[in-house]
Amino acid sequence: MGAIEVRGLVREFKKGPRAVDNIDLTVAEGEIYGFLGPNGAGKSTTVLMLTTLLPPTAGTATVAGFDIVKQGPQVRASIGAALQEAALDRFLTGREHIKLQGSLHGMKGADLRQRGNDLLERVGLTDAADRKVGGYSGGMKRRLDLALALLHRPRVLFLDEPTTGLDPQSRSALWDEVARLSREDGVTVFLTTQYLEEADALANRVGIIDHGTIVVEGTPDELKAEVGRSSVEIEPHDAARLADLERALAPFGEPMVTRGTRASIRLNEGVGDVAAIVRALDAQGIVVHQLRLREPTLDDVFLEKTGRSLEGSGDNDEDETPSA
Amino acid sequence: MSDFLHWLTAVQGIAVRQSSSFFKNPALVLPSLLFPMLFFAAFAGGLSDLNRIPGFDYTPGYTTFQYVFVLFQSSMFGGIFIGFAVARDFENGFARRLMIATPRRSAIMCGYGLAALVRSAVTIIFVTIVALVAGINVLGSPGQIVLLYVLALTSNILGSLWALGIAFRFQTLSVTPLMQIPFFILLFLAPVYVPIELLSGWIRHVADVNPVTFLLEGGRALMAGTTGPIVTAWLVVLIGGIVLGIWSLTGLRAAEKR
Repeated sequence: MGAIEVRGLVREFKKGPRAVDNIDLTVAEGEIYGFLGPNGAGKSTTVLMLTTLLPPTAGTATVAGFDIVKQGPQVRASIGAALQEAALDRFLTGREHIKLQGSLHGMKGADLRQRGNDLLERVGLTDAADRKVGGYSGGMKRRLDLALALLHRPRVLFLDEPTTGLDPQSRSALWDEVARLSREDGVTVFLTTQYLEEADALANRVGIIDHGTIVVEGTPDELKAEVGRSSVEIEPHDAARLADLERALAPFGEPMVTRGTRASIRLNEGVGDVAAIVRALDAQGIVVHQLRLREPTLDDVFLEKTGRSLEGSGDNDEDETPSA
Repeated sequence: MSDFLHWLTAVQGIAVRQSSSFFKNPALVLPSLLFPMLFFAAFAGGLSDLNRIPGFDYTPGYTTFQYVFVLFQSSMFGGIFIGFAVARDFENGFARRLMIATPRRSAIMCGYGLAALVRSAVTIIFVTIVALVAGINVLGSPGQIVLLYVLALTSNILGSLWALGIAFRFQTLSVTPLMQIPFFILLFLAPVYVPIELLSGWIRHVADVNPVTFLLEGGRALMAGTTGPIVTAWLVVLIGGIVLGIWSLTGLRAAEKR
């Protein structure tokens, strides 16, 4: 049995959309599962159900072997979660948060102190441990949130967009820690993100969700291989010649969705086509402003499966849980 | 660790966090201490001549008469104010931490309730010190006085349960008036300024069946060392505790389904 098993999970809201629509997924023990999708796709609603914060409308799911509806207390004892907003009390210090979190999990005494100190050190907050959280930076809050989620040695860790709003350095440090948790401690990580590079760098497997349904699932390499070939994206110097450009590119591959004033094709022969394309454009007098050769990315996978790009999509469409 | 000990540790943790957060924030502490003082000064001071009106026969005097009201009022509202804290925790997301990390969620309800009791105990001590300086007369036996304070703290639990039920259901600070207004109405439709015997007309009819009347009259009797509706007062807190306990618990279940 996987660490997370989901079958036909549905969440409907009154007067609202079906936020999660009959999804199935399995996450193996010790795996990092990247759950990708734009805002409003159903990622957070799925996490809320799996962490027992929201009951499903239909379907079943087990986390760490426990049913999320019938065995909520056992599920909660087995999981750690760092959700989108680091839920911290600005009047408490980092160490006071550790004490509170420990007490919620029934930890106390020397074990709690030792574990707390270890985790604070691991996330680089030992020096700030006795400062009020109100004075922490965004990155420090996220790191404390992660330490709190790990305090009781959970078997499954839910990270809901853990690096949103973090600077590159903090993001990188968090990635290292998540990878280490899976590699060395065998923790199963369910990671939701809208950052493709995050899923690509961390996840053993990726599920892409859109409009509440999982549109594709597999390892990042499998998914990219499914999309297949390299693509080229060209922006003409004169935007009025975009149609000419698209016609000139047509013999070299399959057209992709045009973005702004740039035309893209998926190359028939791969990188070897580029020289021929440049010659063809030169022959037709199309001056190139920018040419970019791209290997397949998870965004291409998303584009292929949904017809739209994941990057930057739905920025104004928050994945808020409508009230029931 | 057994399930019960685990639950108890969680209750303690939530209460310590809530109390710690409260006592570190002067903007929360000062009103909770000054608000009852305002009532005490306004009623016991400003209306002290009521002591002389015919029919006012409360032996310990008007200041003591008002002290018992302020005691119950501050205790109840100490409970109600915990609902504000819960609503705030839901609004800023902190409640999610508690909901995810607490295996038995009834610990959340009891943890906040315990924090409300701690707050109220501090307020009661403060009010009592000021009242003693102001010259209240304690005529009840030590046992009666202990019962008085237990009754006052029990009324704190009633306030907490009511406000927690609201906070769990609505999860927003915008409903705080809903937490306070019913208790304000009940308090001010009780014999606050004069004994119930001096009330007449519709207010008397309402006061006769108002549960807070029994708490105040019972409390005043304990303070004066006389007989009064003490048993009825305990029945009020018992029945109120059961009804509001169900209200609060169903609110928690509703919060789990949102």
